[in-house]
Amino acid sequence: MGKRKAWSPTLQACLAIGAMGVVLLPVFLSQTPWPTVARDYLMQYGQDESGARNLVSAIYLGYRAFDTLGETIVLLVAVIGTMGLLSRVESLVNTVGDDDNTIQTVSAFSLRGDKRSSHVLRTHLLEVVTGKIGPIVLLFGFYVMLYGHLSPGGGFQGGVIIASGIVFLALGNQQDNTSALSKSSILGGIESVSFLLFIIVAMSGIFFGKGFFGNPLADSAYPVGFIVLLNSIIGLKVGASIGFMCIAMMGGHD
Amino acid sequence: MRPEDIVFATVMLPLLGAALAFCAKLLPKGRVASVVEYTGALVGLGLPPLVLILLFPVVFSGQSVSGVVGQWFVGIGITFRFDALAWLVNILGFTIGTAAWVYSLGAGPKGPAFTGVFLIQTAALCATIMTTDLFNLFVCLEIMGITSYVLIPTSRKAGATLASFSYLMVSASAMVFFLLGTYGFYRLTGALSYEGISNGLQAISSSDTVLSIVSLALLVSAIAIRVAVMPLYGWLPDAHALAPHAVSAVLSGVLIKTPLFALSRILFLFPAGMQVGELMGIAGGVTAVLGVVIALSQEDAKRLLAYHSISQIGYVVAAWGMAISIGVDSPAGTSLMVAAFLHAFYHALFKGLLFLSIGTTVDVAKERNVYILRDSIGKLRAAGERIPVTFMCFVIGALAISATPPLNGFVSKTAITYAMKGSLHYYLLSAAAVGTVASFIKLSRIYWPTGKRGRLHPELGVLPGSSANPQTKAYGLVARLTAQSVLAVLCIAGGLAAPHILTIIGTLMSRGGTNIAVPPILYSTDNLLKTGVTTLGGILLFFVATSKIGSRVLHTIRTRPRSFQGLFVSFSLGTAVLAAFLVVGKI
Repeated sequence: MGKRKAWSPTLQACLAIGAMGVVLLPVFLSQTPWPTVARDYLMQYGQDESGARNLVSAIYLGYRAFDTLGETIVLLVAVIGTMGLLSRVESLVNTVGDDDNTIQTVSAFSLRGDKRSSHVLRTHLLEVVTGKIGPIVLLFGFYVMLYGHLSPGGGFQGGVIIASGIVFLALGNQQDNTSALSKSSILGGIESVSFLLFIIVAMSGIFFGKGFFGNPLADSAYPVGFIVLLNSIIGLKVGASIGFMCIAMMGGHD
Repeated sequence: MRPEDIVFATVMLPLLGAALAFCAKLLPKGRVASVVEYTGALVGLGLPPLVLILLFPVVFSGQSVSGVVGQWFVGIGITFRFDALAWLVNILGFTIGTAAWVYSLGAGPKGPAFTGVFLIQTAALCATIMTTDLFNLFVCLEIMGITSYVLIPTSRKAGATLASFSYLMVSASAMVFFLLGTYGFYRLTGALSYEGISNGLQAISSSDTVLSIVSLALLVSAIAIRVAVMPLYGWLPDAHALAPHAVSAVLSGVLIKTPLFALSRILFLFPAGMQVGELMGIAGGVTAVLGVVIALSQEDAKRLLAYHSISQIGYVVAAWGMAISIGVDSPAGTSLMVAAFLHAFYHALFKGLLFLSIGTTVDVAKERNVYILRDSIGKLRAAGERIPVTFMCFVIGALAISATPPLNGFVSKTAITYAMKGSLHYYLLSAAAVGTVASFIKLSRIYWPTGKRGRLHPELGVLPGSSANPQTKAYGLVARLTAQSVLAVLCIAGGLAAPHILTIIGTLMSRGGTNIAVPPILYSTDNLLKTGVTTLGGILLFFVATSKIGSRVLHTIRTRPRSFQGLFVSFSLGTAVLAAFLVVGKI
């Protein structure tokens, strides 16, 4: 029995990988020429219809914005789930107490600064450097977010950079001067309100006769305004969510 | 507003409600925050049914609302189609969703975050059944998945997080293969909409047939994980048993069925769809039998119900698969499809009812073991329930799932077996019915009196999740009992009004606006005799199962090895078998 247990997982892994490998072989071996319909259409009409020179943003905030709404929701729910888990780990630590070393090490990241054993690593040097870099990173994040329709970037990428700016600001917090951006209540507020805004903007096309997720500015001189607006909302939402989560993991959520 | 705008209200209103609920999280706890949260729930769960009533004349006349989201070019935008199927699944989702949310007010988990995630899940259901775009289907399935992974551990039961994690892992890996299948179809046809792909597939060379078949197999098996058909069921029992009761009701009532009906849109159009239906039908029949055997062996009350969900979804899949393999435009196929949906709907009602009433019982008794828990009626009375409403609800649910006339389960199960008389599936499902009766006799023992008086402990009288304040406690119990009673009434009404409901669903499913489904004969001597024999067989099986040998066999089944990696092995082998079956059928 003991011997069987030793090779049984290996056998199972071989079976699973072998079966999937055989099934997937035709997917990778296909010699069919690549389809060109979407590419040709985008080349010809993409920029005129959406106003965006960066055709990637024309796709994900124009033609397929509904999918993007879905991806944003996935991120939102994932953050809620993570926060739920973090708060449970924290309560577990509080009930068990500091004697139990195993739980302590597993969950140390969610403890408050003074309780954390890694507290010593947060040196003065780190605080000064991150505090100075933070605003610059934040500015760069806003640039990537707002210029997403012209250059590579957009709401998701800009949002992540904004989040790292927020993390820098939080790390750079010295004794008394705390940035409002590293308060979890403010970040949570930005997140919820920008989600509400996203839904309202998505529905706005209905009142302009463009249908659900239609571009209400399509007939105006600046159809790209819709993409810029969506990019900003997504950027704020992603930045706030990820910043919120990182700060919670550093133990700063109360 | 045009009808294209109205149909998206079913998705957008729950999302708007969710956004309101999240905003309520920001407000300081108190009256205003609750008002905003409940407004969100009202917008998300209360208004969409009104929209559905508005849309009923459209779908009843056989029309459908379709188009491209945002009115873009059809080759690149997201296409959708709101038809009778979408309407029916929406009704199913909002009925169970509303009942479960009301129950959660009493039983927990409470709070704006729960309401928000719950509403997002409802929106995802509506979007899943409406989309006709493969990538959009992927996104919708992901939202449905992630909301379940988040909702399951909110019960804070030991093991709930692990159950949610195994579901997450197996489902996320399956979704990778779903994406590969999407890639395969896009590679071949350059389209993502179902119609575009099915048009493109008619023009491909014979050397690419294998790729199209493999892609279909990848899509089907990833969805089959969500439906929990037999080899791919392993994640379900723990997830459904350990979730909060309200979430369990939605998970097994709505969430495992929506992907199935969304899949039927793909199978109607794609070549080889009929073979998939054939194989899934057989798998469904086997699932119905094996599910009930394992259910009979369980000792945890909610896990017993979870295995019954697998067994009952087997009924649905068997009828659904057979309908697709016959062809849904023939009278026989339509009748089977009607029966499949009817059972999906009625199962959602009675299984929701069972999960909620058993949930209330185990919360009060603080004991989930079927072999230990006894005299639950007395315990519920001690908790403040003067009339044994929970017990009556359980009895209605149990009689419905055991197909006792005139309850709704009798109607839908008879409709299924009537339409498939003489086939292999028929015998499998008849065997499963016997097991259902036996296992519900077993489960009903938790209400049997012990015979000894005065064993009630005073501390049993407090419902967990409610504070010591008696007013809050009464309010919690009222919310629970309201949700249960509404579902119980719907179970009875669904049985009594069966002829009308069958006509309506038949007309809706017939696509042409006229009912071509064959209405089953419900109360023939044959059927009543069969019900009697099934019940007797069930009682007999119950006594066999409680005998010495029987309980040893059941113990072996209960303690059979189940492993995390087994989920992955069964997924890959299942996919390989499906692909091989399709390739052999084609050549």
